[in-house]
Amino acid sequence: MQIRDSLVSLLVVLGVPVAEAEIDFNRQIRPILSQNCFFCHGFDRHERKAGLRLDTAEGAYKEAIVPGKPSESEVVVRILSNDPDDIMPPPDSHKRLKPEEIALLEQWIAEGARYAEAWSYVPPRKHTLPKVKDGKWPLNYIDHFVLARLEREQLMPAEDADNVTLLRRLFFDLTGLPPPVQVVEAFSSGNDPNAYEKIVDALLASDQYGERMAMYWLDLVRFADTVGYHGDQTHNASPYRDYVMDAFNDNMPFDQFTREQVAGDLLPNATIDQKIASCYNRLLQTSHEGGVQAKEYIAIYQADRVRNLSAVWMGATIGCAQCHDHKYDPYTIKDHYALAAFFADVDDTQHLKKGTNANPTWRGPELDVNTRRERALPEAERPKPRRVMITRALEKPRTVRVLARGNWQDDSGEIVTPAVPEFLPQIKSEGRASRLDLANWLCDVENGIGGFTARVMANRFWYLLLGKGISGVLDDFGGQGEPPEHPELLDYLAVRFYENNWNMKSLVKDIVMSHTYRQSSAASRDLMQRDPYNRLLARQSRYRLPAEMIRDNALQIGGLLNLSYGGSSVRPYQPAGYYRHLNFPTRKYSHHTDSQQWRRGVYMHWQRMFLHPMLKAMDAPTREECTAERSRSNTPSAALVLLNDPTFVEAARGFAENCLRANVNKTIDERIIWMFKTALSRQPDPEELKVLLDYIEKELKNYTLNQAAAEKLITSGLSSPAENIDMVELAAWSSLARVLMNVNEFNFRN
Amino acid sequence: MNRQHHFANRMNRRAFLHHAGFGLGAAALGSMLPAVQGASSFPNVQPRAKRVIFLCMAGGPSHLETFDYKPKLDQLHGQPMPGSFTEGQPIAQLQGQALKVQGHLTRFGRYGQSGQLISDYLPWHQKMADDICVIKSMVTEQINHDPAHTFMNTGTAISGRPSMGAWINYGLGSETENLPGFVVLSSVGGRNPQPIASRQWSSGFLPSRFQGVEFNSSGDPVHYVSNPAGVNSAQQHQLVETINRLNKHRNQTVRNPELDTRIAAYEMAFRMQVSVPDLIDVSDEPQHVLDMYGAKPGDGSYASNCLLARRLAERGVRFIHLYHRGWDHHGGLEKYMDICCGLTDKATWALLTDLKMRGMLDDTLIVWGGEFGRTPMFQGKGGAGRDHHIKGFSMWMAGGGIKGGMSYGATDELGYHAVDHVMHVRDMHATMLHLLGIDHMQLSTQFQGLDVRLTGVEKARVVTEIMA
Repeated sequence: MQIRDSLVSLLVVLGVPVAEAEIDFNRQIRPILSQNCFFCHGFDRHERKAGLRLDTAEGAYKEAIVPGKPSESEVVVRILSNDPDDIMPPPDSHKRLKPEEIALLEQWIAEGARYAEAWSYVPPRKHTLPKVKDGKWPLNYIDHFVLARLEREQLMPAEDADNVTLLRRLFFDLTGLPPPVQVVEAFSSGNDPNAYEKIVDALLASDQYGERMAMYWLDLVRFADTVGYHGDQTHNASPYRDYVMDAFNDNMPFDQFTREQVAGDLLPNATIDQKIASCYNRLLQTSHEGGVQAKEYIAIYQADRVRNLSAVWMGATIGCAQCHDHKYDPYTIKDHYALAAFFADVDDTQHLKKGTNANPTWRGPELDVNTRRERALPEAERPKPRRVMITRALEKPRTVRVLARGNWQDDSGEIVTPAVPEFLPQIKSEGRASRLDLANWLCDVENGIGGFTARVMANRFWYLLLGKGISGVLDDFGGQGEPPEHPELLDYLAVRFYENNWNMKSLVKDIVMSHTYRQSSAASRDLMQRDPYNRLLARQSRYRLPAEMIRDNALQIGGLLNLSYGGSSVRPYQPAGYYRHLNFPTRKYSHHTDSQQWRRGVYMHWQRMFLHPMLKAMDAPTREECTAERSRSNTPSAALVLLNDPTFVEAARGFAENCLRANVNKTIDERIIWMFKTALSRQPDPEELKVLLDYIEKELKNYTLNQAAAEKLITSGLSSPAENIDMVELAAWSSLARVLMNVNEFNFRN
Repeated sequence: MNRQHHFANRMNRRAFLHHAGFGLGAAALGSMLPAVQGASSFPNVQPRAKRVIFLCMAGGPSHLETFDYKPKLDQLHGQPMPGSFTEGQPIAQLQGQALKVQGHLTRFGRYGQSGQLISDYLPWHQKMADDICVIKSMVTEQINHDPAHTFMNTGTAISGRPSMGAWINYGLGSETENLPGFVVLSSVGGRNPQPIASRQWSSGFLPSRFQGVEFNSSGDPVHYVSNPAGVNSAQQHQLVETINRLNKHRNQTVRNPELDTRIAAYEMAFRMQVSVPDLIDVSDEPQHVLDMYGAKPGDGSYASNCLLARRLAERGVRFIHLYHRGWDHHGGLEKYMDICCGLTDKATWALLTDLKMRGMLDDTLIVWGGEFGRTPMFQGKGGAGRDHHIKGFSMWMAGGGIKGGMSYGATDELGYHAVDHVMHVRDMHATMLHLLGIDHMQLSTQFQGLDVRLTGVEKARVVTEIMA
């Protein structure tokens, strides 16, 4: 057994696939065929070479594959050929199969070359919970699937995360903020078996939950404060951001959330909030440049909407079928334009007729609104209404044609009416199908693709809480995506999601209550080698916090964070002259000079063409296109932000000041420990204490010798330190705060 | 020696992961690799240049007042533009207007031993006629500024793709550990300046460390590169060391695989804090060099940026993208050509000449051009001008691997359509990559399931005819 174990892991390390009982077409074969063959022998009938298609059994069996007989199969013969005229893939494709891929293909053909429908086009079903040997480990259904797989791989789950790590993880994941020291202490020392669940419930009920989830949703739908092209003028969208936060906080069912955004304006007696939600259709990049040709931009806008809707709800890249049939998935160019036709009634060309360089620009139809929470306030406290772009349906929708090769000048294409892709279940409607029909179809499990949509979303909630999707590509569930590592678990989550009336909080709670979620993220060297990307889930994940949380965490620990909810976007400090490349009109940025300065990152003004350098350095997207997964980089630019951005320097000062106030007449050691615990939720070990002690002594000396420098450091930023605090002390402790706010542990979710 | 060793270790890990068949794209490795490393399989053709200085005349300079002389244009001046040229063609601001021919607004002459045609607006270009290869048959696909820049820089008008400078650093890695490999400079002066989006130097779906870093002529030269007020360099160094020390210590318990890159990032951040001010400070340049460029330190001019471009090139920066933003001459073309050429002509010559004198022109590729050209037709927003034009325009290349003193391709008799040896933007990209030692077909990464390349999916041509 032992020998077998080490052999298996050795083989995996060497990239040699371990033979399994039978080859799984979708997981093992389809990716090889898709990557190497489908471009010329796939779905796109225009590109198809020699009339051969390998994406269907029917096509393949005709001449290329003889089931059971690899050596008689032309596919194998060609792949193994040395003749440059015969070999496949052809040399000019720069593609070549690896020996292990060829071996898999041969094995698959020998076993009968059985095709299976692409995993993402098979509706999810509720698989029975797999049996596990260690019946004590699973805490809920999720763990059955995860543990069964680990047992099959002869792996053990990781130990439970320690209380501090777990609580920090949970707080950041659900609210984007660090846990207060008292909560950590109470949790660590208490013995209430339900304490964890109580905290989960409390966090899900907090306003900060909606803010945190909105950060993600806004990336998907590419929400920003500016138009994104040329003059990049401000447009009016902030009430939509608040709508999204409210929807998450109110736990609006996801199907309703979908309906209101795609077609809120078409709902009977549409409410103000539903109209605000319909701003979704207006979030795309628009151009207000003089000399844009309306016809060209109408084509650009409709393609943009297809890209976004299909990426957000369908996990599909139907945008690729703008110029030709899709290369890897069964979407035709006609499907692309028929989907675009759903949006042909969106009144969104007014600014093309009446271009304006004003800032904010005008993008009618717009509405002055108060959000629901604002309306609930007594009138005297209600803020001034804000303007928001909304969707209003044109009486006569635009004509949509298939544009061959995406050419907007070509009027010869077939006229299409709204329709969903042909190979999927069809909308049954009398007359012209509407955006509302489309929205319903997206979440209709019986007659639409509700099951697929649920799977796309369940995968993303998983990503938000485990660091990586069960299927690794969050916006492409097609042939070039990645088959899920735990397909049955993903199915189960999806079915439970819609069966539970599309209850998002409940889905989130299931995941964070699982044992899988509560594991430590530490991995042995062996496990790191065997599973570097944690696809098997024998541990939790560790990664740098998203941009907004980096900011929120620093401001919170610095005692500066302003937790007020909703409202217009805010302008924190930003390097002078950063907008000098903007024009039409020229732009001047003035940061807030009141407490708006310290609002959460989710409220930051999102300038598409010049995203705030801090957000950019921390991998926040410009939101020109859908972003389902942000990259997580470690760059010098990001280090410079954490070291020198005035927001972070000011937060460090605030942190130091709080320390000195809370620790009057305390020793240096006690102060260090106080700061360490506040920042990192744990005690420093002796080595850490020693390093910090050395450091603070040096800094106290530096600033004693140079009081002018001390004064400069502590007076940066809008907030000012209390007058009765010693300048030298405050400067030195601010330096120590900068250390703590830069260490990995402070900026990582673990 | 230590660094070498360190580097070798990291190479091994990369090689290991690669061979281990975990199906990692280079992008997936991004967060695990040090700041200086490229995609390692390049160069894969013989490199002729090590770096690129891309001089972008944003707004779209007129090819008809710079390099493309058409006697017929003068003959037909003032007459209606023949419909055979314009029918069914995309048109920007002249939509729906009567189109008439606008003759050249300047004179042309032949210069150098090669007899290269250059207009009177560019007296200093005339002096380097034998060094540059003018491509007169450029075409692009986007007729409005913003998408046209995006197309020129990323090969597509869809937002979110990597810019060429990012691609090149991704392919070749950087030659400096103190500065970013892709630097963007933009200049003040000229007509109402073109807006330029930071998208133009984005790394798109490539790792963020390949994105262009903008150098500013006022304030911090690079965002947040200065210490906070009241913190000196020694203190900052102490701070970074303390952070790294704590991180290393903690890592004994938690083993964060990103530790190496985090430490490298902080170390490079600190080195940038030291080296950027040194780079920007041109007080070590003799007066005659400043005069040659016409540079006044700190003025943010194109001339000063040309000098900075040379200093960046000397320090190993791989791709330097220098913008001058005044070239959108819908009207008042003569006046604004005077101004824009006055601001750029001499400094461009100085940059080329300076590089040549230092022996660096041989391995530095210089590219000059706008996002498109201008119509042979008249537009009259405040005096004669020309509208945006994408079917034929001029750019030039010089230096590393380029045959100087020649022109390549041609437009038709009115300078409308490129008709001879048409060079599409993607051909220019393929050629540029080739000169850097990169087969453009192999510089690709997976995004949304596709092997995405700078040169896109349509066939791109390496134009060997312009190579020395």
